Amino acid sequence: MKVSLFIPCTVDLMMPEIGVAVYRILSHLDTRPVYHSGQTCCGQPLYNAGYRDQAKRAARHFIKVFGDDEYIVSPSGSCVSTVKQHYAELLADEPSWCDRARNISKRMYELSQFIVDVLGITDVGASFEGKVTYHESCHIFRALGISEQPRKLIASVRGAELVELGNATACCGFGGEFSTGFPEISEAMVKAKAVNFINTGADVLLLNEPGCLLNISGYLHRNHPQKRSMHLATFLAENTREFSHA
Amino acid sequence: MHNRVDKFKETARAEMKNELSQAFLLMLSLGAPIMRQIGMSSFPDPAAAEAYGRAIRTESIERLPELLEEFKKNAQAKGAKVIWARDSAEAKASVLDIAKKRGINYITKGKSMVTEEIGLNEHLISNGVDVFETDLGEVITQMLSRAPFHIVGPALNVPPEEISAVFLKRGVIKQPTVNPVELGKAVREYMREKFRYLDMGIVGVNMAVAETGTIINVENEGNIRMNKSSPRTLVAIMSIEKVVPTMADALHMVRILSRNCTGQKLTGYVSMDTGPKKSDEMDGPEELFIIIVDNGRSEIYRDIKVREILKCIRCGACLNACPIYAKIGGYPYGFSYSGPMGQILNPMLLGIEHTSDLFRACTLCGACKKICPAGIDHPSIILEYRARQIKDRKHQTLSARFENNLATCSSLAMSSSMLWNLAVKTVRPLFNSLAEDGYIRDMPFGAKGWFSCRNLRAMPDKTFHEIWKKLNLPNPDDVRKKETL
Amino acid sequence: MSSQVRNEILSKIKSAQRNDPLPRPQLPFLSERALDREQMLERFTAELTSQTGTVYRAKDRKDAERVLSEIAAAEGFKQVIAVGKNLQGIDIKSFGNSNGITVRTLADLKDREALRKAAFAADAGITSADFAIAETGTLGIIFSKDQPRLASIAPPVHIAIVSIEKLYPVYEDAVKQVFGNVNEIPSQFAFITGPSATADIQAISFKGMHGPTKVIVIFIMGQ
Repeated sequence: MKVSLFIPCTVDLMMPEIGVAVYRILSHLDTRPVYHSGQTCCGQPLYNAGYRDQAKRAARHFIKVFGDDEYIVSPSGSCVSTVKQHYAELLADEPSWCDRARNISKRMYELSQFIVDVLGITDVGASFEGKVTYHESCHIFRALGISEQPRKLIASVRGAELVELGNATACCGFGGEFSTGFPEISEAMVKAKAVNFINTGADVLLLNEPGCLLNISGYLHRNHPQKRSMHLATFLAENTREFSHA
Repeated sequence: MHNRVDKFKETARAEMKNELSQAFLLMLSLGAPIMRQIGMSSFPDPAAAEAYGRAIRTESIERLPELLEEFKKNAQAKGAKVIWARDSAEAKASVLDIAKKRGINYITKGKSMVTEEIGLNEHLISNGVDVFETDLGEVITQMLSRAPFHIVGPALNVPPEEISAVFLKRGVIKQPTVNPVELGKAVREYMREKFRYLDMGIVGVNMAVAETGTIINVENEGNIRMNKSSPRTLVAIMSIEKVVPTMADALHMVRILSRNCTGQKLTGYVSMDTGPKKSDEMDGPEELFIIIVDNGRSEIYRDIKVREILKCIRCGACLNACPIYAKIGGYPYGFSYSGPMGQILNPMLLGIEHTSDLFRACTLCGACKKICPAGIDHPSIILEYRARQIKDRKHQTLSARFENNLATCSSLAMSSSMLWNLAVKTVRPLFNSLAEDGYIRDMPFGAKGWFSCRNLRAMPDKTFHEIWKKLNLPNPDDVRKKETL
Repeated sequence: MSSQVRNEILSKIKSAQRNDPLPRPQLPFLSERALDREQMLERFTAELTSQTGTVYRAKDRKDAERVLSEIAAAEGFKQVIAVGKNLQGIDIKSFGNSNGITVRTLADLKDREALRKAAFAADAGITSADFAIAETGTLGIIFSKDQPRLASIAPPVHIAIVSIEKLYPVYEDAVKQVFGNVNEIPSQFAFITGPSATADIQAISFKGMHGPTKVIVIFIMGQ
């Protein structure tokens, strides 16, 4: 099965190891990941900030790059949600692009959703001795309705104990420009998330949204440098012996 | 009420340092959604009940013109006097006129958000008609001249010491007390005298029923029933979107509203008034005025992308769900409506150009949309305001022009991987020159806010693009893509 | 002038683009409809009790007078206001005489002022209720010349006397009867669920804000 990787700009620029992990997991699960090197960014930052004309340009590029790919898989729920839930409206006044946007939205998958729902796999073969907890990112949990899938993947990790994060579905306070525009409010939110994480006693906070990860890991690095947060893909790839050195 | 919507950031900062506000916000954000959940789960099929409520609100708004006319016709047929007001000035003038013509000295009022929106109290008081709020929370906010902290509990956060002090000053109590029950009971006694000799009352309207011309109020304290029972003259003020088609719809919405508002299955009182009292009745208003206020709603209605704002039933569930409201409370929103409700409504009432912080202070987390019993998509409306603001201002100031150009440059880079990769190569050394031990801890420009509490990893040596290239994996597709792009 | 304003507002919204609302989903099922009388009574009692209300079952009107006397003695009523069409046949004046309570009925009240004076001075308001709704332990009262509004809201105790025949599962049962005939809609119909309440200061809740502190319902089970 050919799987087209959509690696969000945050991952491309700041956390490429997540992209590598996604590639490794999907290869390991007997799919054939491909990567269109023409891809850039889905345009979400522009769209969310209100720059719609500019976001349209990014959207058209995205649609061109991913063409007819049957399965487009991304380690970011908010990017998937942008394409799936906003492109058609964004391009509403350009009927042929709008049609293509509607069409491509049916072929977009968040990584955990793809592995569990499409591939029908919950156990990727990872093992980890320790306690982990899971943050329900807003766009994954609420916008895409994905929660069971990552939890199933985590539950199947041998040795790992999944403990519940207090107020797991609360926003971490990232919100793109929000985190820089309203730093005090954002800080209060990410601090609450960190406190809830620390209170679980878990070794690692897992999440599958790069934006949240930038925010939470940046906060932890400054304030609680011994605490770790990781993208679920990185966690699974690092803890699967058979392909961790691929 | 003083409109301070332009002070969002500084009020938010102050509120985040206010321990009492913080304690209540924590309690509210943890407790209120649970109360609501318990309330909703008392429906045999909560999802079906919620879907039905959303359908009622959608239909009510789509059929608004007919329903309003039907309501007016039926209310008048039952003897109510219906007055229409285009804006706050007309609405205020109507109420003042009614009071003056009847030689009214004082009025008591039930809780009504639209009267706060139009600044009715200030207008009446400055024209010699005293106004007493009677809902306990509103009594306190009125005496303190303060905006509501929360739509349901406007003074929840106010310390009893402060309440005691203002009650002493206003003669509500003779001896100081910090006991909430004693403070409440003192207001009961204070207001009983007002109700006992009342000539004119004002109430809001939770629902106006088209098929019968009935106005419905939901409450727990009994102050609205007092206002509707004791005086000869009653003025009910509603904005145009309050109308629902039928009594059956109203009953369903009362069930939904109670559960979403306070977690109750039903509020203590639901009073349904159709016209003034009959001639042989001993109490109830001899004259019932229903003032139907537009004040910007018809513009919202015509604005198809934001029309759904009018579906709001003012239950306050979105405030309790909002992670930002949970940190800052109601004051920063600076107007009658706070939280997500205010973030979508206030920009239309006060102007997008004046309310930027309201629709920017949002992470688009979608908690409001998920909880909304009226089915409003708050994040979409907030995104719409951002787009309109950018569209309106992009050529106006130098900084707006600069930001717009920056966005355009980004979008150009986003539409060409060659430019994208070139940009990365250019920015990376500059960006990473700020890093120490692989992390950036502050930045002299740009996204400075980020670094108030966070570090940022330096950009790795290789982007995923570059790593992929190095992996040198055969990818026949890229050959095709290169040709077409 | 108002008609001009009305036309302006209405024409603005009438000329706006219209969307057809989707058809309504199925009306949600109300499980209370399946309750029999005893179950309704249990549900009503449980719901009202949870709001600190009290429910009595009186065998007949004589028994109701006994219950009333017990309540009056326990609460120490000095004066009450009693309204409602013949109060299910209860002889309210004799109740007053035998308990040493001043009872004011509509016959004693000549106008609004007299009513207000009596209602605000009374220790209790005794009224009939036109409906009792099991769903939430709710009373439904039609206000009329026989049933002024203040009697159930101004005194600190509200005692409602209601025939068991008037106990229904859900609000709709009452509203259909009250609003069914467009020419007979009362000026006010109200649902009352327990005493008045607030939690506006420090989220500390207590009963008896502006209305009654206590609500007592006496069902008359037979004739």
